[in-house]
Parts: sequence; C-alpha cells; structure tokens
Amino acid sequence: MSFVSKVLAIVCKDLSAELHTKEVISAMLVFSTLTLLIFSFALDLRGAMAEAAAPGVLWTTIAFAGTLGLSRSMAREEQSGCIDGLLLAPVDRTAIFFGKTLGNLVFMALVEVALLPLFSVFFDVPLVRPQVLLVLALGTVGYGAVGTLLAAIAVNTRAREVMLPVLLLPLAVPVLIAAVQATSGLVEGATLSEVGGWTRILVVYDLVIVAVSLLTFGFVVED
Amino acid sequence: MSTSNVPDSTQDFDFLGLLLAGTSGILIIVALGMAFLYAPRELTMGDVQRIFYFHVASAWVGFFGFFITFLAGIAYLIGGRRSWDILGLSSVEVGLQFITMTVVTGMLWAKPVWGTYWSWEPRLTISAVQLLIYVAYSMLRASITSPERQARFSAVYGIVAFVTVPLSWFAIRWWRTIHPDILTGGEAMAITPRMVQTLVASIAAFTVLYGTLLRQRMRLERASDALTRLRLKMERRSLLSS
Amino acid sequence: MSVYLVAAYAVFWALTSIFILSLWARQRRIERDIEALKQHLERGSPKNA
Repeated sequence: MSFVSKVLAIVCKDLSAELHTKEVISAMLVFSTLTLLIFSFALDLRGAMAEAAAPGVLWTTIAFAGTLGLSRSMAREEQSGCIDGLLLAPVDRTAIFFGKTLGNLVFMALVEVALLPLFSVFFDVPLVRPQVLLVLALGTVGYGAVGTLLAAIAVNTRAREVMLPVLLLPLAVPVLIAAVQATSGLVEGATLSEVGGWTRILVVYDLVIVAVSLLTFGFVVED
Repeated sequence: MSTSNVPDSTQDFDFLGLLLAGTSGILIIVALGMAFLYAPRELTMGDVQRIFYFHVASAWVGFFGFFITFLAGIAYLIGGRRSWDILGLSSVEVGLQFITMTVVTGMLWAKPVWGTYWSWEPRLTISAVQLLIYVAYSMLRASITSPERQARFSAVYGIVAFVTVPLSWFAIRWWRTIHPDILTGGEAMAITPRMVQTLVASIAAFTVLYGTLLRQRMRLERASDALTRLRLKMERRSLLSS
Repeated sequence: MSVYLVAAYAVFWALTSIFILSLWARQRRIERDIEALKQHLERGSPKNA
C-alpha cells in the first residue's frame, strides 16, 4: 500500500465511523451554537458591538468546539484499540498522523462551513467569502495538527480529555491572534494582501507546527 | 549486603554547586547595588522604573529556561537517558519561578506607571502565555503515572510548546503595534548607558542564579531516584526472603 | 521610594527564598529516608510484608 492510500484508508475509517453515529459532529455543532448564544447574551452583542466581536467569537467557538472534536476522536481511537492495531500493522507513524489529522480537519471543516452562515446572520457581518474561508482553512490546519498530537498525549493521562484544552490553548495563541485580526480586517473591507501579515503568520505557524508534530508523533504513540 | 552501587548524594561535596551559589549571591548583590545606586533616576517614571531591571532579567531567564527544556526534550527523545528528563523538568520548575516573578513585577510596574495592574504590553503578555505553558507542562507530568511516559510526553510537549513561543511573540508584538493601548501606549523610557550596564548585570546575575537553582533541583531529583531504587531493592529483598 | 518598587523587589526575595527553602526541605526529607532505608538493608532485615 502506498503512503497516500494508507493515509486515505485511515481518513475513510474515521469518516465512516463518524457517519454511523454522527455523534462528534452533532455535538460540535450544538456546542458551537450554544457558545454563540451565550456570548451574545453575556456580552450583550448588538449592532456595532456585534460586528466588532464577531471574528473573536467565531474563533473562540472554533477553538472550543475543536477541542471537543479532537478529544472525542482520539478517545474513540483508544477505546476501540484501533491505534494498537494500526501500530502492529506495517503502517508508518507519519501516515497515522496525517490520517488522523486529516480526519479531524474534515470534522472541523464541516462544522465551520455550517457555522459561517450562522454567524453571518447572527452578527450581520459578511463572513461567507472566499478570503474568510482561506483564513479559516489556514487557522484550522495549524490548530488541528497540533491538536491531534496533543490529543494523542492527553488521552494517555489520568485527566484524559480534560487535559487537552490546558495543553492546546496556550500553544494556539499565534493562530487565535492572527486569525481574529485577519478576519477582522477582511470583515471591515480590507483586501487579502492588506491582511497579508497575519496570513503569513498563519502559514509559518502551519508549516512549523505540522513539521514538529510529524517528527514527534511517533514518540507519542509508541509503546 | 553492599549498598555501594547507590549513588551517595548525601556525602559528595558539591563544589560546583557551592561555586554557583556563591557567584550568584555576589552577582545579585552587585546587580541590586547597580539598580539602586549606579543607575540614574528615570526622567518620566522616577524610581519605580528600577523594577525594570529585575523584570526584564527574569523575563529573559524565564524564556531561557524554556529553551533548555526544549533542548533537553530533544536530547531525551534521541537518547532516552533519564538525565535529560531530569534537566527538562528541573528547568521548568526553576523557570516557573522566574516567569512568575516577571509577571508579578510587570504588574507592579504597570500600576504606578499606567494606573492599571494589567496591560497587554508585549513582554508582559508573552510572559503570561509562557507561565500558562509552564503550568500546563507541570500538570501534564503530574497527570501521568508511568515515569517513562511522563518523560516522553513532557519531552514532546516541551518541544512543541517552545516552538510556538517565538510565533506568539511576533503575533502579540504586531497586534499591539496595530492596536496600541490608548492607556499605556509604547515604552517611553529614556535609556542611558548606565541603565544598559545595570540591565546586563541583572541578566548575568539572574542567569547564574538560574544555574544554581537548576543544579539544586536536579540534585534533588537524582536523590529521589536513588530513594526509589532503594525502595525497589527493599521490596525485592522482602519478596525473596518471604 | 515607591511602594511598588519595594513590593517588586520583595516579591523577588520572597519567591527565591521560598523556592530555595522548599528545595532544601525536600532534599533533607529524601536524604533522611535514604539513610533509614540503607540502615534497614545493611541490617539485612526485610520489612514485614
């Protein structure tokens, strides 16, 4: 089996498992909507305030819903003993990492695609635009990659899934700052090149974090 | 029954440790003297500005400690030797003290100068982020029972976490440049050569202090390992004779 | 002299002293335990299981 087909096999396994129950995606969607509501009530988001707060609330929601999905997806892996099976089979550690990460990214992408129109309507801001989608993609890739690595660690602790936000969020600071600033700029009418500085940070983060996660993932899943 | 294969950390005289302790003591007194007597009174802020020297010095050491943990993590993953793990966890514990100092002194500086305890000033913000990462590292270690996994996972986390710190720094710096705090503005300090010298002295003093504390913490951990080995020996002995 | 200045340096001394003391106390405790165990082993008498 070639590398790519191994990766795709893992992704398909995750997706079909999820398709049966849809538990992770539905939980993430419901949680995101609730988060949106709570932010709106807690911060009294109306009118100009809402417009200013929209990018921040969007990314906070993605971050928290993301930890839900990442934890759940890795926990399911551990429960079913799948990881051990994968490790016994002649599958490269990097293939497992890519496979798991891509699967997680697909979940996050599906949720985000549903969230964007929802947020656009609630905050009355033009979010469903290709530039915003690009920023979304860049931010999600970095967050998902490091999240997958850290979820693999978290699942092996006594605190289990609860550990993931503690580990992940401080490391996601560059993504959160850059993504929110870029989205803010775009919403206010800036062009993609005008928020280029922020997107560059996202790209550098993605490259660095994927490289490091790839190199260290093998050490996490070995036994 | 010979117990000679147990390293006797209680009786070896630690010359290097003593040298480090002595040097840090002297350097700190020198740095304090310079901060209060040699460095001039700052124009706009007055005497409160003298916090700056220890604040920046501890920020540097906090970051440096993190860098050491990063290197120790790589070394551990490559070689698998417990010494690297000991270095990593000790550097985190000592670094945590320094980064806490950075945040607290930063807040005590912010209040008289800007009227508010917290400002999203880049150095203070990145120190807060590093503080949280240090805490996360400690919580991770505490949450793992197997020592081998503890070492391996913390090595990985130390590496990945450190890599994000420079990126966070740039993001925060730029964020503050584009949205400067109306209250705090930029750093308006008239810097003279004497101040630079005092700062260098403070950084040197704190770095040696870090070295001293690091050595002691590592010694403590090795003693703890020796104790564990002795306990295992006891258990084996009682199992064999029963 | 500003209160904040004093407080900041006080924090430095407090944190450093507390940390050093804690290290010293832990070291003492472990060294005591090591001595106790060593004596046990040298006597050759295992602890009652």
